[in-house]
Amino acid sequence: MTPVARVAVRLVPMLLLAALSAPAHAQPALDATERAKVLAHGPWPPPWTGDASNRASMKPRAVAFGERLFFDTRLSKNGLVSCAACHQPKKTWTDGHAKGIGLSVADRNTPTIANVRYAHWFGWDGAHDNLWAQSIRPILDPREMGMTPPAVAKVVRETPMFSCHYRKAFGRAPPPDDEAVLVDVAKALAAFQETVVTARTPFDDFRNALARNDAAAVARYPAPALRGLKLFVGRAQCSVCHAGPAFTNGEFGDIGVGFFVAQGKVDSGRHEGIRKLRDSPYNLLGRWNDDASRKTATGTRHVTLEHRNFGEFKVPGLRNVAETAPYMHNGSAKTLRDAVRHYSEIDPDRVHADGEQLIRPLKLADGEIDDLVAFLNTLSAPPQDFRRQQTVEPDCD
Amino acid sequence: MNTAPFAPDRVRRATAPPRAGTQAGRMARRALAAAALVPLLAQASADAPRCGDALGTGVARGESKRYVVAWRADPSPIVVSRHFALDVVVCAKAGAAPAMSLRVDATMPAHRHGMNYRPTIAATGDGRFRAEGLLFHMPGAWEFAFDVTGNDGTERVRAPYELQ
Repeated sequence: MTPVARVAVRLVPMLLLAALSAPAHAQPALDATERAKVLAHGPWPPPWTGDASNRASMKPRAVAFGERLFFDTRLSKNGLVSCAACHQPKKTWTDGHAKGIGLSVADRNTPTIANVRYAHWFGWDGAHDNLWAQSIRPILDPREMGMTPPAVAKVVRETPMFSCHYRKAFGRAPPPDDEAVLVDVAKALAAFQETVVTARTPFDDFRNALARNDAAAVARYPAPALRGLKLFVGRAQCSVCHAGPAFTNGEFGDIGVGFFVAQGKVDSGRHEGIRKLRDSPYNLLGRWNDDASRKTATGTRHVTLEHRNFGEFKVPGLRNVAETAPYMHNGSAKTLRDAVRHYSEIDPDRVHADGEQLIRPLKLADGEIDDLVAFLNTLSAPPQDFRRQQTVEPDCD
Repeated sequence: MNTAPFAPDRVRRATAPPRAGTQAGRMARRALAAAALVPLLAQASADAPRCGDALGTGVARGESKRYVVAWRADPSPIVVSRHFALDVVVCAKAGAAPAMSLRVDATMPAHRHGMNYRPTIAATGDGRFRAEGLLFHMPGAWEFAFDVTGNDGTERVRAPYELQ
């Protein structure tokens, strides 16, 4: 036997032994940079102190009024559509359709309202800088609820249950000014939506274990999910935009999703959204903002309108993302896997980026797509049954 | 300013008195004087006010040919997707005209994009400015650009900033 053969005879059993003793699902390790990036996605939920632009924010009576309004169909022109028709609690506050369906079909996918209190822009185009203004939009949109300010005020004034809740929430009867009633209705709706926050997830358990150096708990996180997480914060650079505890930076990006909504009709996203924001009487620079200091209006005062905003849409948060299909602003990705595959095969020529270098096809292997999906699945909390409040105002119901 | 004023009085007091003697003695005295001078100069430099010291702790600085720019973020540290302001002090180097106005911007050079917001700048006197309305919407490598204008033109001071 030659020396090489003798070495091989000894080495092969050792290698076989090593291979057999290593678990098939061994966790890949995180380096220091990856660890820091992972920790930045928590803790969950982050502290929240209310919305200074909304005097109804965090007021239990306003929350109760908002909840009544949210599930009531009387705020629609035909009396059949409520906010909850599109934001269904059992569907993680979405509707499962590619595009929202109210009085007719809208142009965009229905985003979840879960965790909306952490946003600083609202809607796929960020046309609103506060949650109460965003809540007015579907009420007045002819394709969604089709109301007018006088019609909303009339419903509130003439429905004893609503006018009672209004008095309890705002300390006065609905005023004669129709627009003031509309804005207060929206502020109560916002106060309710602020209470919808997703629960802690398997990812949070992993992240918190990492933070306290609990190796045993860290090891319980599935290996495919950890490989996906490493991609998410590493080569794929997902966490650059899907940043922070809510997995969104709250801003906008062009990721090459089509923006034609019909023959000759374009959805320009953020570009038109900034124009609408500036024109809105309900923006935070206007008279309806309850924050006298106007500190809440900093973003509105300084936001710029650029050519590159054309085709940009809001970066959605990813908590409970596995429960909110279909995806993208137009619902064009039916599954989570389709959404991940989009980034793998993205066409840079479709991106209005003015030379921006961030969006490039990731060219992921099938196994890497599986891993990213496995990671995204760990961002879902166990199903929570939403139970409507019985009432905090028995005199009103 | 970064350039510390020379402190001749303090150096003279600290230097050993001259003593008659040999060539070696004279060389030793010179070496002793030089050795004493180095830490004292360093001390004088450390004690001298630097541009932007009045801003307190957490001050960062950058400079160009004619200007030193010192700034402090408010609130500090900067957080992804949260608005911040900058308190800025501009110091003209020797021979340069004082800063009359300032523009502030920031970009991510690797991504080739800037901020989604345009800050407003208010002069608060004595080369001090406050920039309001900045927001870094991504973690990573940013670069501030301070355009300082004096009566002899505009000069850009660039300064990197790594946002975790």
